[in-house]
Amino acid sequence: MITLDFIINAISLGSTYALLALGMVIVYGILKLVNFAYGELIMITGYSLFVLALGPHLPWIIMAVLAVGVAVLTSYLTERVAFRPVRSNSFTAMLITSFAVSTLLQNAALLIISPRARGVPLPDVFSESVAIWGQSVPIRSLLAIVTSLLLLGLLVVLLRRTVLGIALRAASDNFRMTRMLGVPANLVISVAFAISGLLAGVVGLFWVGRTASVTPTIGAAPLLVAFVATVIGGMRSLLGAVVGGYIYGIVFSLIGVLLPQGLLEFREAFMFLIVILILLFRPEGLIRGVNSSRRV
Amino acid sequence: MMHMKPLPWFSRNSTFFVLAVPLLLISLVTVLIGDLLIERIVTVLFIDVILVLALQVFMGNSGILSFAVAGFMGIGAYSSVLFSMTPAAKAAALPDLYSFLTQIQLPFLVSLLIGGLVAALVAAIVAYPLMRLSDAAGVITIFSLLVIINVVLVHWSALTNGPRTLFGVDRFTYLGTTTVFCIIFLAVAWWFKESSTGLKLRASRDDAFAAASIGINIVMMRYLAFVLSAFMAGFAGGLWAHFITSFSPYAFYLSAMFVFLAMLVIGGPNGISGAVVGTVMVTLLREGLRSIENNVNMSKILPSGLVGFTEIVMAILLIAILILRPAGIMGGTEVRWPRGLFGLRGKRGTPAKDV
Amino acid sequence: MSVLSVDNIFVRYGAITALRGVSLSVAEGELVALIGVNGAGKSTTLSTIAGGLKPHQGSITFQGEQLQGKSPEYITRKGIALVPEGREIFPSLTVAENLRLGAFVRGSRVEFQHDVAEMVELFPILGERLRQAGGTLSGGEQQQLAVARALMSHPRLLMLDEPSLGLSPVLVDQIFELIDRLHRRGVTILLVEQNVERTLAIVDRAYLLHTGQVEVEGTPAHIREFGNVEGVYLGDRGRDAGRKEHQ
Repeated sequence: MITLDFIINAISLGSTYALLALGMVIVYGILKLVNFAYGELIMITGYSLFVLALGPHLPWIIMAVLAVGVAVLTSYLTERVAFRPVRSNSFTAMLITSFAVSTLLQNAALLIISPRARGVPLPDVFSESVAIWGQSVPIRSLLAIVTSLLLLGLLVVLLRRTVLGIALRAASDNFRMTRMLGVPANLVISVAFAISGLLAGVVGLFWVGRTASVTPTIGAAPLLVAFVATVIGGMRSLLGAVVGGYIYGIVFSLIGVLLPQGLLEFREAFMFLIVILILLFRPEGLIRGVNSSRRV
Repeated sequence: MMHMKPLPWFSRNSTFFVLAVPLLLISLVTVLIGDLLIERIVTVLFIDVILVLALQVFMGNSGILSFAVAGFMGIGAYSSVLFSMTPAAKAAALPDLYSFLTQIQLPFLVSLLIGGLVAALVAAIVAYPLMRLSDAAGVITIFSLLVIINVVLVHWSALTNGPRTLFGVDRFTYLGTTTVFCIIFLAVAWWFKESSTGLKLRASRDDAFAAASIGINIVMMRYLAFVLSAFMAGFAGGLWAHFITSFSPYAFYLSAMFVFLAMLVIGGPNGISGAVVGTVMVTLLREGLRSIENNVNMSKILPSGLVGFTEIVMAILLIAILILRPAGIMGGTEVRWPRGLFGLRGKRGTPAKDV
Repeated sequence: MSVLSVDNIFVRYGAITALRGVSLSVAEGELVALIGVNGAGKSTTLSTIAGGLKPHQGSITFQGEQLQGKSPEYITRKGIALVPEGREIFPSLTVAENLRLGAFVRGSRVEFQHDVAEMVELFPILGERLRQAGGTLSGGEQQQLAVARALMSHPRLLMLDEPSLGLSPVLVDQIFELIDRLHRRGVTILLVEQNVERTLAIVDRAYLLHTGQVEVEGTPAHIREFGNVEGVYLGDRGRDAGRKEHQ
């Protein structure tokens, strides 16, 4: 049933997916790195919340900010330690490195904390609903939408109004030329990874908010989402990633109610079939971009 | 005194022999030692070698990372057991199985072949269009294939018992079987690498435009490698299924893929030597680390046990290799019979004949 | 006074030695050209100076400092700007943003509006397109944008790699006229071109490169006399034709 509740959930899902996709593309656009360790940033956010809850009592919002900070730091560190040394190697080498980092992080969580799920503190507001037009809408969904729009807005300001942002977009267009204009490569890449970590961290807050728990493998599903949304959006364009995320979220929700039960289980397979089809027939994604120059 | 006659065929293919003989020796020694645990480890080692060779056949020659190897292993595993299990076992483990499948029972070796063929068939049907893509698009589509295979395996419960473990498979795989097939596939991988298809693939990987301009159909070459890789993986999947006798679809997903990748990259993806060396090294490492893990767990030093330690070390090792020695242990070359040893010549040159 | 001094550099490009003992110099305010056929090593020379390639022998001195082997970012910060072959403007950035990035190396000392006004004066067409995405500009406009972007860094040395490549005759005229104008404003320029006649008509000095070595160097007149220029480009018949033109 297409109710208000459904619409809000679909948009909320889309907002989350949009941030996810953006975090992935911002790194891919510059480095051509398909970051398999991206999903683990969500896992790290969740575990940070868990660990913080073990300590002295803090207001949730503080814990949230700290947890996202840990995600940002992790993202930055993985770049410095693992990706920077292999940056000059082939694209495949970087991808395998990211796969190794992903395995490393997952098993580190397994080892240091536990293979079993761990409870994550959530603000009371996450379990409350509000009545809109006679229907009960989870506040969490509304918060997801608002937070995403806020973050996207901030990013737009960064990318459009600051020199650093312009440099980031330029690096995404043509990394070599950006360096030749004197922009320090390492700075740009570090900032990109930090932003990627920020986006994953915020998404992580909402992701663990759904189940109030975190497991070592919680990053697997968001990673796949990021892939699909990114491909839909065309892999190179930041705007495309955002739109791709929304499309994926909404389509996914729609498929959830439209498909017969028997086929519903194969929903994920369908999404990846779409990925293959897009990459085969329309690799620039479903969004028409402004770039007419030669693409590498 | 008499000079040994040069054997050009031997020297051209010395790599295969230099790899096969030690593998046979390992097998022989294992039988002589008679320790059951070591026998299990070595049996799995040979299966892993086949899987890593399957990965190498595609990735080493085309340069494109294939995440689908684990998926084809799964297809092969399930296909082969569907034909090798007794009807009674199938009725018990897979109650919803289609009746014609429940009735059939075929010999072990035939079922292995079926496993390989089904995997190859799936690859043959879906993969051709994907071979047009390179770099990121190529890897992502092949990765998508893995996800799709996994979803299908998990949800086609009638065939696979869904996400749950499938029981009732007979233990048909023993050390002898895996040794023989390992050597066979080693030869196949070597043959493919040195064949014209293999050469053309590697040429196209270095320079796609140049290769296309001399008429090499890159897509077809990749396709052939991909289908061969799928067959090998499927066959190995069947071997493994009849060794482990119970498994679930998640055995054929990312964790498995990580291990195969680690083995190949650490050994060196550019040749079959790397595949073999990497598999042996990583297996030794894993078993060593596992026994450390077990000892720590038994002595209860750490409250929740040492879990994931093995994987962490392997991941660090993999990253280190990529940073420090990206071409792996083998460094991009193959092992060869040393020139002049026992009068046999290495790859280059025929010896001067006595006048 | 020599701004740039390249001494006997040897540069490998893959398995080939692309430059074998190339030496050149550019004095302040000069317009110097590197000419020669495809593959002669002209672009390789510019790339090496700009930091994209590292010579395994020889040195590059810029304003007294040795620059060989340094990173492209460092070299740009020192005051060398390269407009590469193929322009390479940023297609998804607006013209204004492209220019803004060109000024990156000047840090916070940028008075953007003032600089943009200067560029618009030199390149009026860009003024009309300030808010347009770079990817929507025509080839000639993109070329102008590329040069303007490089100028935004107030470089001590401007290097242009085949700016007339792929442009229609009218636009080629415009480009050479632009280069001449910049020269007369005092910009030090090192120009790589295949369009020999137009180039020799405006430069102070030139170097004729062939298979990675400097064959002839000197004033345009000197090159015309001693350089096998027409022979190299047009074959023997061309040489005669060229000679007739000079008479």
